[in-house]
Amino acid sequence: MQSWRRKSLWLALLASWLLGLLGIFPLLRLAVPTGPRAGAPRGWPRWLDAELLQSSFQPGEPPEDAPPPPPAPRGGSCDWGACFDTSKCRSGGFKVFVYPAAGPPSETQHKILASLEGSRYHTVSPTEACLHLLSLDAPAGACGPLPPEWNRGKNHLVLRLHPASCSGTFPRGQAMVAEASPAGDAFRPGFDVALPPLPEAHPVRGGAPGRLRQHSPHPGEALLALAEEGGGWRMAGADSSACPRSGHCERDGGPEPTHPGAALPNATFCLIPGRRPDALRFLQALQAGCIPVLLSPRWELPFAEVIDWTKAAIVADERLPLQAVAALQEMPPTRVLALRQQTQFLWDTYFSSVDKVIRTTLEIIQDRILGVSARPLLMWNSPPGALLALPTFSTSPSHFPFYHLQRGSRPAGRFSALIRVGATGQPPLKLIRAVAGSHHCAQILVLWSNDKPPPSSWPETAVPLTVMEGHRKASDRFLPFRAISTDAILSLDAHSSLSTSEVDFAFGVWQSFPERMVGFQTWSHFWDEAQGGWGYTAERVNDFSMVLTSAAFYHRYYHTLFTHSLPAALRSRAEAAPGCADVLMNFLVAAATKLPPIKVPCGRRPAEAGPPQAPGGLGPAPQPAARDCIDQLAAGFGHMPLVSSRLRLDPVLFKDPVSVLRKKYRSLEKP
Amino acid sequence: MCASVKYSIRGPALIPRMKIKHRIYYITLFSVVLLGLIATGVFQFWPHSIESSNDWSVEKRSVRDVPVVRLPADSPIPERGDLSCRMHTCFDVYRCGFNPKNKIKVFIYSLKKYVDDSGVPVSNTISREYNELLTAISDSDYYTDDINRACLFVPSIDVLNQNTLRIKETAQALAQLSRWDRGTNHLLFNMLPGGPPDYNTALDVPRDRALLAGGGFSTWTYRQGYDVSIPVYSLLSAEVDLPEKGPGPRRYFLLSSQMALHPEYREELGALQAKHGESVLVLDKCTNLSEDVLSFRKRCHKHQVFDYPQVLQEATFCVVLRGARLGQAVLSDVLRAGCIPVVIADSYILPFSEVLDWKRASVVVPEEKMADVYNILQSIPQKQIEEMQRQKWGSVSNPLFLPLIPPQSQGFTAIVLTYDRVESLFRVITEVSKVPSLSKLLVVWNNQNKSPPEESLWPKIRVPLKVVRTAENKLSNRFFPYDEIETEAVLAIDDDIIMLTSDELQFGYEVWREFPDRLVGYPGRLHLWDHEMSKWKYESEWTNEVSMVLTGAAFYHKYFNYLYTYKMPGDIKNWVDAHMNCEDIAMNFLVANVTGKAVIKVTPRKKFKCPECTAIDGLSLDQTHMVERSECINKFASVFGTMPLKVVEHRADPVLYKDDFPEKLKSFPNIGSL
Repeated sequence: MQSWRRKSLWLALLASWLLGLLGIFPLLRLAVPTGPRAGAPRGWPRWLDAELLQSSFQPGEPPEDAPPPPPAPRGGSCDWGACFDTSKCRSGGFKVFVYPAAGPPSETQHKILASLEGSRYHTVSPTEACLHLLSLDAPAGACGPLPPEWNRGKNHLVLRLHPASCSGTFPRGQAMVAEASPAGDAFRPGFDVALPPLPEAHPVRGGAPGRLRQHSPHPGEALLALAEEGGGWRMAGADSSACPRSGHCERDGGPEPTHPGAALPNATFCLIPGRRPDALRFLQALQAGCIPVLLSPRWELPFAEVIDWTKAAIVADERLPLQAVAALQEMPPTRVLALRQQTQFLWDTYFSSVDKVIRTTLEIIQDRILGVSARPLLMWNSPPGALLALPTFSTSPSHFPFYHLQRGSRPAGRFSALIRVGATGQPPLKLIRAVAGSHHCAQILVLWSNDKPPPSSWPETAVPLTVMEGHRKASDRFLPFRAISTDAILSLDAHSSLSTSEVDFAFGVWQSFPERMVGFQTWSHFWDEAQGGWGYTAERVNDFSMVLTSAAFYHRYYHTLFTHSLPAALRSRAEAAPGCADVLMNFLVAAATKLPPIKVPCGRRPAEAGPPQAPGGLGPAPQPAARDCIDQLAAGFGHMPLVSSRLRLDPVLFKDPVSVLRKKYRSLEKP
Repeated sequence: MCASVKYSIRGPALIPRMKIKHRIYYITLFSVVLLGLIATGVFQFWPHSIESSNDWSVEKRSVRDVPVVRLPADSPIPERGDLSCRMHTCFDVYRCGFNPKNKIKVFIYSLKKYVDDSGVPVSNTISREYNELLTAISDSDYYTDDINRACLFVPSIDVLNQNTLRIKETAQALAQLSRWDRGTNHLLFNMLPGGPPDYNTALDVPRDRALLAGGGFSTWTYRQGYDVSIPVYSLLSAEVDLPEKGPGPRRYFLLSSQMALHPEYREELGALQAKHGESVLVLDKCTNLSEDVLSFRKRCHKHQVFDYPQVLQEATFCVVLRGARLGQAVLSDVLRAGCIPVVIADSYILPFSEVLDWKRASVVVPEEKMADVYNILQSIPQKQIEEMQRQKWGSVSNPLFLPLIPPQSQGFTAIVLTYDRVESLFRVITEVSKVPSLSKLLVVWNNQNKSPPEESLWPKIRVPLKVVRTAENKLSNRFFPYDEIETEAVLAIDDDIIMLTSDELQFGYEVWREFPDRLVGYPGRLHLWDHEMSKWKYESEWTNEVSMVLTGAAFYHKYFNYLYTYKMPGDIKNWVDAHMNCEDIAMNFLVANVTGKAVIKVTPRKKFKCPECTAIDGLSLDQTHMVERSECINKFASVFGTMPLKVVEHRADPVLYKDDFPEKLKSFPNIGSL
């Protein structure tokens, strides 16, 4: 301990000294002469008889390369193929059974259970389960007895979130071990799972959002923060761009006093020593958006099986801290920018709550089971991350809404209109004609959610029209219907009123922003000081954060996400109040994209039989039940995901004083 | 530059698709081995180039003249490979810090011929392949002939193929190398490890701490973060040129081309073929070929003869089964032919797995599931198959990919480019200073013959105002990443843009916050394909579409200033400065190319000043301008090698723009006109 403390102090001083030196005497580094000595022959010789050299290889295959040796895992060691039985997971899907705690469950075990219950993996039947989960985080760190279905650990995951719990003598057998920052030698790559070291008070859901507020480092930000013994961070060296070109730096580059209150470092790079207890600092750096520089870590990086840490952290050799610091100083802005953003993305996606850590662990195991049908690593390593890109939906990035903009592509040019016929029970003939009039419309699906039977005859349309029976539940419309054949869904209510021109324009906008919802009518959320809770309204008309699904374009994947990834409790909550399913859908999309929805103009006010509070944003404020809805959803998500916007996307010549003949979407302007 | 080299190295395409033969193969092989080492954290820098720097004379000698070294029978043997080795325990990084830019330097021991006590050679002196590998290293930038400055040492003792080695004596030869020191920082290359009967998956020669770049590692022998897994060399891959084949359906769904398969495996493959008919093709060696045919270039199924490796291009999936060894040369052939490898070799560490994502380009199937392989492959969607065949993903990588809305409190920095229109400049400054979110104003004084007005004459505004004088009157100066820019948002504005209202500018900034990775501007312009002339055309008419915004007034992220100044492709920057035109089009190209996204036009604004619509002396000026601008688009499209601009039909207006709603309740009532 003592030597480590001394060492990190020494490191801090050395690093800041070097920074100063580099700032003042950049030429010193060029002291070593370069270039070859001219004249003297050097290098590997050109053999005059090179043609005579023989090949190492026989053409074709070496003849003795035939018999396969018996596959022999050595000395009790396990790998995925040898120690996991995937046959149990195929029939029933990926189901996880959690052993009840032997005694009174610990705080951590409570969190684990809270995370799993209501998730799509959870099962209460041990026989149905593909994976058995055993938590070692028992109170007082005692190891409980082995559970009855232990079976030498086969298909078991032993979870140890906190290193203190149940000492290392646990007979792991064929069980996978998921523990915080495991040491390299005991870790079985591709079998065990490396977890992040979590502080005791880590929240179950939601969690503190990342602290990054801007993409690039602020010019005044320190270049380096050094993890100090005792939990603090020491800042060293201002970023060079803070120095005006005159050469006068506002900071002297020397070490500054530690800020005792600041648990998170405020710097571009965070230097973290390599021993295991310091792994906790790694997570702090991620949260702060400070690029972790790991000095010869003796522990496995969390989830390294799927997370490409080269995109978010730097591993350097602890024996050459000066070279590391020099390299950091010279790192091109492009790389700094990318690393910084990636740290933040990873924190928000996989580490900020116990729930995310547990789900990430299970998703990794699920990907192993899926084998070829697992997600490509790109999906793990780019927003919105693998927890929101379900492999059961597809493994091809182009099927998801999230990767089009990243890849510069555009989704295909067709949509399916999904019209929900609720209480009115009248077939929306006018609406069907307007929608079918769009060249982009591929099909019309009518979701009949009415006690009356659907009429037998429907208007003749150029596109196929299918009637489906619903269960008269508000969230029915968000089921992942097989019949939907296009990426885009135009969700409609029977009483919505849209023109073909509006549909066409809105669809074009959606193609430019396929990961967002594009709608005509909007709500905005707000924090209600008086009630001490969230509320939403249709009256604040200068901005918005939700669009109504009574007329909105969005990607069909959100139906899958709505049905399969949301906790059951939230979905049933959405049934309770009118409009709550709409709010939940907006929550879901905002949580995935971290962006606001998009509003497009609607030509006329849909005065005829509008929804309770929607039309023109001028209806009555949502009722108390609605307030409960948004409050409870926010609690369920652990945070408020909605994001506000103040803009509307209009056609380029919208209401411009030029001839209407020039305008492609002229009917949008009719009063 | 750095990044582009790295990118081209990263795709799996590099291993097989080598167009130029052996040399590049070996240079690339070595580069990726180094990249693997870099991933372990020893080296912070990707070496800057892998080009040869062969500007010295090279010795020409005969292999027969190399000095002979006699190894006494009792000379020391290194310890066996130390499985617990990691970079920070077994690698001496202090040797690697001597060189400028942390560039790795590699020393190659000179070639010797080793004989034992009785004069019998220990092995062949050197193989053709190893000679080429060493030549490639020696010609590269990494090479040093100064053993004291070297970070890595490469012995000239050839251990590529263990079959040709006398194990003990080879080990003795290694141990007597002048800087051996338990093998620290020594790098050995081996492609065929092990030997009968148990076929170890790593080189059997005791090598202590030496790093091993090996073909055919298993999880049991691979020291993660220390060793590097490399592909097994294929003679054919280097010698036969195959045409590039795009994605799409192929004649066979699944193909097996390996000749030396275990009977058990062949039986299972035969069963697959019997079950699935013509979509599965299992090839074997040909028995009845005439003598003058190269037997390894042919494969047979019953009496049908196929050319190898050409036949690989006829299949969607190609089986790569383990033999006695895990690493198989056929993997290189398969990849090169554009067939998706189906790797059936439990615990095999795929080549370069430290830096390549094999899931993108291959399918790994456990040996016990071999009977099921057809169904497993059938379950892969066509789209995914095509992506694997392409072996790469889209080309853009947005530098501002994190969805993040910067806080409004940060504000923006306005940069006014001016020459000598002081009066107009002062008006612009006064107008812009009324925008609530302005946090700093920077005037770029582009006139070298005239000093800016005295400080006392400048308008007094509420935010800091700084004047930067430039050394040359260049348009690019407007896009220079000045240190004075502290906010992420930049408003580029000309010194005669006085018509934009405060609401209009503030709204523009708000829009930028929602789209921080895009150009957000006022008047929009369009590029069109002129079918008659077969080239691009610039369009400023009343169109329903936009693909560019003018930078006479536009918001964007300051990072694009850095890109414009230092990373603009080709000679575009000089062209713009020479023509004194089109800097805005260049910026539009740059941003669209790097983000893959369209611009955002805000508000109805159609024009600023009017070089292109209210020409003083009539049509001619107007037309010259349009011709010049069209030329710029064509020039830039050819330099970028593509047309990156994206066309959209929308613009951004405030939520209540022109809605029937009381003006005084709107956030941005005064949004201006055309």
